[in-house]
Amino acid sequence: MMMLNLMPTAFIFIAAAFLLLALPKGPLRAALLLLVPLVAGAQVWSLPEGTYGQFDLLGLTLDTMRVDKLSRIFALIFCIAAFLGNLYAWHVRDTVQQLAALLYAGAAIGAVFAGDLITLFIYWEATAITSVFLIWARRTEGAYHTGMRYLIIQITSGVILLAGTALLYRETQSIAFGAMTLGSLGTWLIFISFGMKCAFPLMHNWLQDSYPAATVTGTVILSAFTTKLAVYSLARGFAGTEILIYIGAVMTLFPIFFAEIENDLRRVLAYSLNNQLGFMVVGIGVGTEMALNGTASHAFAHILYKALLFMSVGAVLFRTGTSKASELGGLCRTMPRTAVFCLIGAAAISAFPLFSGFVTKSLILDETANEHYPIIWAVLVFASAGVLSHSGIKIPYFTFFSHDSGLRPKEAPVHMQLAMGITAFLCIFIGVYPDTLYALLPYEVEYRPYTMAHVVGQLQLLCFALLAFAVLMRSGIHPPEIRAVNLDVDWIYRRFLPRILGGASIGLSQLWAGLSRALHETLESIVAFLFRVYGPDRGVAKVLPTGSMVVWIAILLGLVLVVNYI
Amino acid sequence: MDRKPADNPDSYPPLGRVLMWFTDPANAHKIFGALAGICLMTFLADFTYKKYGHFAVEYIPGFYAAYGFVMFTALILAAKTLRIFIKRPEDFYGEKAIDCESYPEEELEQVGHDDA
Repeated sequence: MMMLNLMPTAFIFIAAAFLLLALPKGPLRAALLLLVPLVAGAQVWSLPEGTYGQFDLLGLTLDTMRVDKLSRIFALIFCIAAFLGNLYAWHVRDTVQQLAALLYAGAAIGAVFAGDLITLFIYWEATAITSVFLIWARRTEGAYHTGMRYLIIQITSGVILLAGTALLYRETQSIAFGAMTLGSLGTWLIFISFGMKCAFPLMHNWLQDSYPAATVTGTVILSAFTTKLAVYSLARGFAGTEILIYIGAVMTLFPIFFAEIENDLRRVLAYSLNNQLGFMVVGIGVGTEMALNGTASHAFAHILYKALLFMSVGAVLFRTGTSKASELGGLCRTMPRTAVFCLIGAAAISAFPLFSGFVTKSLILDETANEHYPIIWAVLVFASAGVLSHSGIKIPYFTFFSHDSGLRPKEAPVHMQLAMGITAFLCIFIGVYPDTLYALLPYEVEYRPYTMAHVVGQLQLLCFALLAFAVLMRSGIHPPEIRAVNLDVDWIYRRFLPRILGGASIGLSQLWAGLSRALHETLESIVAFLFRVYGPDRGVAKVLPTGSMVVWIAILLGLVLVVNYI
Repeated sequence: MDRKPADNPDSYPPLGRVLMWFTDPANAHKIFGALAGICLMTFLADFTYKKYGHFAVEYIPGFYAAYGFVMFTALILAAKTLRIFIKRPEDFYGEKAIDCESYPEEELEQVGHDDA
C-alpha cells in the first residue's frame, strides 16, 4: 500500500492497461477492470491531503497529485463510476473498449489531481483521445463521423487551454492551477476551454451529438467523466465568477425544451445531462462555501443517477436494438427490474424526497436564494420541473409504460442488473443518509434538507407537474413521440458551413473557369491577329522571287541612267 | 425482434405482471384519481406548518403547486411550438448518420423473454 500511495492514481490505470493486454480475453480482463477502480478508490480514500508526485519538466515543476477535499470527492466518484461502468460492461470482450474505458477513467482522475495547468492539459487531451474510442467502437460510418466531430471539438478545447496557459505563464510566471480571475486573454482562453468541455450554451452540441453514437456501455462511461471534469476545473479555477450564474441558468433552461421533443432517449439523457450541469455551474458562479458544496455533491449524485438512467436505456437498446421512444413502450412486462431501476434514477434526478437529487440540488437552490438572485432561483425551480418532464417522466414512461410496442425482450443480463442495482441503492442511500455524502464535501456542511417546508414544497412542485402531464396526455395536447431529428447548433457545422463552403468552392471554381476562359480567348485573338497580319499569305510575310528583284534592280539602274542623261 | 401484440401475462415475471397494471387503459382513471388525491394532500399540507422562505411568493399557500402546474404546461406547449420550427426528417443528415443507421446487431443480445 505504501508503494501504491507514492504512485499517481492515474498511473494505476495506465499500468493496468498494459496488464490487460497481457491477460487472455474473457472474465479475467473483465475482473481486472473491476479491480482497478477499487484499488484506485482505496488509494484516493487513504491519501492524506497534500501535494505528491512532483517532478521537473523543462524547468517547470509539475504537480501530478494535489490531494484536497475538492479533488478527492471528484476522484472518488470517478472511481465509483468506473467500477459501475465496468461492471455494466462485464460482457464486453472488445479490447478497444476495455482499454478506452480504463485509460479514460485514469486520465479523468489524473486531471482532477493536476496541481498545475500543464499536467491538466496533458490529461485533458488524454480524456479526449481515449474517450473517442468508445464512440468509434460502434464501428459504423455514422459513429466514425460523429467521433471525428467529437474529437475535433475536444482537442480544440485542449489547444485553447494550452494557449491560455502559455499566456498566463507569460503574465504571472506561474503554471499553478488555482483560483483565477477573468480579465486577461489567458484566463479567458482557459475559461472558454473549460466551458467547451462543460457544454456551455452554443458550445454544447458535441454532447448531444456524440453520446447517443457511442456503444451501449460506452455512453454509460462517457456520461460520468468529461463534463464533470470540466465542472471540477471551473470550481477550482473560477469559483465566484458571476457570469457563470447566468451561463448556468441558461444551461438549465434551454435543454429541457429540446429534451422534450427528442426521440432518441440517449439524446434526451444527453440534453438532461446538460441541464444538470447548469445547476452545478450556477453553484460555482455563486461561489460561496455552501454553493460549492452544492456543486460538488450534485456532481457526485448526478454521476450516479445519470449513469443509472443511461444504463437502463442502454439495457433496453441491448435487448431491443433501439433507444427511440417512438419504437418503445410497455417494456415493464418483461423488463420489470430494469423499469424499477429506471424509475429510481428518474426519481433521483427529479429530486423526489428520499432520493439523492433532493439532498444535493437544494444546496444550490437555497444558496441562490440566500445570495438574492430571485430570477435565477425562479429559473432553477422551473428547470427542476423541466427535469421531471424529460428524465422523470419521458424516459421511464415512454420506454416501460405508455402504449404497448409489442416488444417482449428478455430482462437485462445479470451483470447489468447488478450494476443498476448498486447504482440505484446508492441513489436512495444518499437521499436517506445525506450526511454520509455531506461529510465528503469540500467545506463544513450545516444544512438540513428534510424540513417540512422543503419536503412539502418539492412534493407540490413535482406532483402538480405530474398532474399537468397527466392532463396534457389525456387531452392529447402532449406532443407525441415521432421519428425525426431536431435542429440544434450542430446544424451550423454539419449542414450550414459545409453548404456555405460548398457554395463558395463552386463559385470560386466557376470564377476561375471564367477567368481562364477569358484569358484563353484573349490570347487566341492576339495569335489570330498576328497570324492575320504576318501569316504566310499576307503581304508582310510574302517572299518575292529573286528574278523580280533583278528586274526591279535593272529598272532602278535604268532610271538612274536616264536621270544622269537628263 | 418480433413484435408480439398479444399479451401473455402468465409468461411474464411476477414484477412485470404487477407493473402491467399501470399500462392498462382501464386503470388510467384510477391512477389519475390517485395522483389528484396526492396533489390535494400536498396542497393541504401547506396549511399544517409555519412556512418559511427567502421570497415573499413562497409564503403563498400552494405556490409551488401552481408554479409546477403552470410552468410544466408552458414548457410542453413551448416545446411543441419549437418542434414546428426545428423538426426534420430522420435522414436529414444523410442516410449514414447515426439517427438513420441501425445499431450493429453483433454488439447486442436481442433475446425475447420466452426464448430458450
